[in-house]
Amino acid sequence: MDKKLIGCPVCIEHKKYSRNALLFNLGFVCDAQTNTCALEPIVKKLSGYLTTLELESGFISKEESKHKLIPIMSTLLEDLNATGACTLPIDDANTIHLKLIQLRKDPPIVQEYDVPVFTHCKDLYIKSQWDLTTQQILPYIDGFRHIQKISAEADVELNLVRIAVQNLLYYGVVTLVSIFQYSNVYCTTPKVQSLIDDKSIQEECLGYVTKHGQKRASLRDVFQLYCGLSPGTTVRDLCSRYSQQLHRVDERRLIQFGLMKSLIRRLQKYPVKVIRDERSRPPRLYTGCHSYDEICCKTGISYKELDERLENDPNIVVCWK
Amino acid sequence: MLSPSSVGSPDDPKSMYSHPQNNVYRSGDKTSPISVILVSSGSRGNKLLFRFPFQRAAECPSSLSGKKRNPYALNTTGEVLEDQDGDSREQSPLTDEQLVAGFSDIILATILATKSDMCGKKFELKIDNVRFVGHPTFLQHSPIIQLSKTDPSPKREMPTMILFNVVFALRANADPSVISCMHNLSRRIAIALQHEERRCQYLTREAKLMLAVQDEITTVTESGCPQSPFRQILPKCKLARDLKEAYDSLCTTGVVRLHINNWLEVSFCLPHKIHRIGGNYIPPEALERSLKAISRPYHALLLLESEKALLSQLPLDCSPAMVRLIKTCSAVKNLQQLAQDADLALLQIFQIAAHLVYWGKAIIIYPLCENNVYMLSPHANISLYSPLAEQFSQQFSGHNLPSMLAKFSLPVSLAEFRSPLEALAQEAQLIQMVVWMLQHRLLIQLHTYVCLLIPPGEDEPGLKEEELPLAARVGGRSLSTPSALSFGSPTSSDDMTLTSPSMENSSAELVAGGDSPLNKRMTETLLTSLSEHERQVILSIPAAQSPEDLRMFARLLHYFRGHHHLEEIMYNENMRRSQLKTLFDKFRSVLVVTNHEDPVISIFQSPMD
Repeated sequence: MDKKLIGCPVCIEHKKYSRNALLFNLGFVCDAQTNTCALEPIVKKLSGYLTTLELESGFISKEESKHKLIPIMSTLLEDLNATGACTLPIDDANTIHLKLIQLRKDPPIVQEYDVPVFTHCKDLYIKSQWDLTTQQILPYIDGFRHIQKISAEADVELNLVRIAVQNLLYYGVVTLVSIFQYSNVYCTTPKVQSLIDDKSIQEECLGYVTKHGQKRASLRDVFQLYCGLSPGTTVRDLCSRYSQQLHRVDERRLIQFGLMKSLIRRLQKYPVKVIRDERSRPPRLYTGCHSYDEICCKTGISYKELDERLENDPNIVVCWK
Repeated sequence: MLSPSSVGSPDDPKSMYSHPQNNVYRSGDKTSPISVILVSSGSRGNKLLFRFPFQRAAECPSSLSGKKRNPYALNTTGEVLEDQDGDSREQSPLTDEQLVAGFSDIILATILATKSDMCGKKFELKIDNVRFVGHPTFLQHSPIIQLSKTDPSPKREMPTMILFNVVFALRANADPSVISCMHNLSRRIAIALQHEERRCQYLTREAKLMLAVQDEITTVTESGCPQSPFRQILPKCKLARDLKEAYDSLCTTGVVRLHINNWLEVSFCLPHKIHRIGGNYIPPEALERSLKAISRPYHALLLLESEKALLSQLPLDCSPAMVRLIKTCSAVKNLQQLAQDADLALLQIFQIAAHLVYWGKAIIIYPLCENNVYMLSPHANISLYSPLAEQFSQQFSGHNLPSMLAKFSLPVSLAEFRSPLEALAQEAQLIQMVVWMLQHRLLIQLHTYVCLLIPPGEDEPGLKEEELPLAARVGGRSLSTPSALSFGSPTSSDDMTLTSPSMENSSAELVAGGDSPLNKRMTETLLTSLSEHERQVILSIPAAQSPEDLRMFARLLHYFRGHHHLEEIMYNENMRRSQLKTLFDKFRSVLVVTNHEDPVISIFQSPMD
């Protein structure tokens, strides 16, 4: 049959009914393959409403009101399929509002060293629709400030910023990238080839990375720049090697775009204390679970300082991944 | 198979009663079933024959004297469930057993024993937070079953079973792939039972036993405490023990092996449980993609367990081809060579390899060789305290995993590890360590990809923006999946671009041809897919003045789209690495080269992406 039926049967027992009970069930018929999680709350809600209507005014059992169900059901079907929302006027006093809510995947935890960046133009969003915390931090989300910095500059408590950004992440308004520094190392992913294959990504990329006021950058230059990123090469190295290609390209936005679209990925450094004597405390941060970004954020020391400390320590190895 | 813990008395601390404390049955695990239920429908109506775990409410241990247990009473552990609606978080959540325990035997029998026209199809029913999945199966019977010719008792009509249904109860938000896997298992068990029923009425006999025990228990109503009949069924019925075993295996290892009536084997694996990296299970889409990735003869099959361990897990009547493959398989041998060594067709190798991958026994890699470049996988667990680090130091004494992994922080080829002073044994150990790291998905292999991008002309930059680069233009001519059967010999090359048979030979022959008109024409034909401007730029490169180089370039043009790595070109065109590298260098003004992992098999190293 290849169909799925969703319903919520209701039984109201009362002496007034012909068999001492009224049983009814309003349901949806869907294709067997569709994901129908979003419809279940609607079915439950409807059965609740209809039960209440029946108990209050005998909506379903009385003949005069029963026929109203047909236009209600057809409105329901059409509107839900068209817009995902539906308003059903029942009578003068009652109106039912229904909306399909799509469940999204749980967003990841936002760390203080993550950088939120808008996926679409900032102006598309009506700011007044967001909560106060989000409104306060919105001006500070520029794709370069990390959470800790946003919290400091917007004067909002760190955890509140994290939750607000996580909320934005859930709705796909922002995505997370890593902190930008000229000492960062990146490498290409197989997705970088989509810059060549996919015209829309090409257009988007060239528009995004071209320096203000300059002629549009050429695909070849941009692709060469991305391919120039490899393990062992810092952004600084890239700039000096490909200075000619960077005439029309903003390297910070180049990296940002690459990270947002997963054309490139960041290689983080993880220190691991492999040799230690038995008596000393076990390492807290140098376990291979915490990147330089995280350590610097948590302890407040600069990248350069941390590097100097660890490079010369024979007990510590550093892994890049 | 009788497991001792199932036959304990109610006072036995190891009895089934203790299973709520056993963290294996933790609620919230979306890949484990909540319950297994066997129902039948026949002349005696709809019956629930067996269910496991037993209903808690039915049990009344002497330790809780007097108090009548409420089936909805909460565990003190109070595990948190996620509710789909999100609106009933104020209520205390029900654990899994309570979800299904809330359904009485009679209700379950009514809803799960379907009508005959639903037989032979997938059965799925979701009630609030529980999803029932099964495969109702029709049984055809002769009306009177003669058990024994010498039976002196008067012939009476045996109660016949018309259909039965092996149902698994899952959490409602289980992944669709888990649901279809459970359906698959239900179907397999049903097929075995149907067969045994036809052969020797196995199911009818077992059902009769089960119903007899149930009847017996209900008639023996003691003061206050009704016993669960299912507990008494277990020692008497092999089928009940099989179902319990299936449930236990699904909840723990994900591998089910039953012997229905000690005769028919039913084996099944739940990929969601056996494919795990760290604590997370690999998403089913990743598994699909990994099966599709088994298509290139130049890849190799890497076993995840030792040959001996694998062979011992195979049943006695397994396919000899599988045994041969496992015995001849090696990390340095590609699938093509494996086919030759094991004396099997390449297509068969692909199929057996897919089977091993599905069961979590093998992955696909590029065959090990000294020019391979490896780097740390972004998902590698490099923690000092990870269980992997422990395993590594046990296997390779004197080495620790993080130090070894640090050596792969920058891409490094195996050749770089070799030093003339090192003993051969150390080199062999290095190879073993690399294989170990590949098996545990700690390393990725990088390949070189090349893309043709002509610098735009000075006078007409506008036009160039509209025109797609070569890669996208020749996109229609797909080279990505050469049909397995066409690779009879390693020297065969793709026949996509070439019209003349002479071009199918290796480049050596072409060079011998020199400047013959045939070769010149071929080169021109190949370059026609380029625009005028592009052709001019290529021809103006100093290297293009050499006809052999230009010919080689033209012939390999269709690989320069960024989708074929160096080793693939080497394999298809039977060329040496040095030849290709030199060519890339000569034409570097129009080629852009980058290194990254092979997207076809990256799924094996990064399944979480």
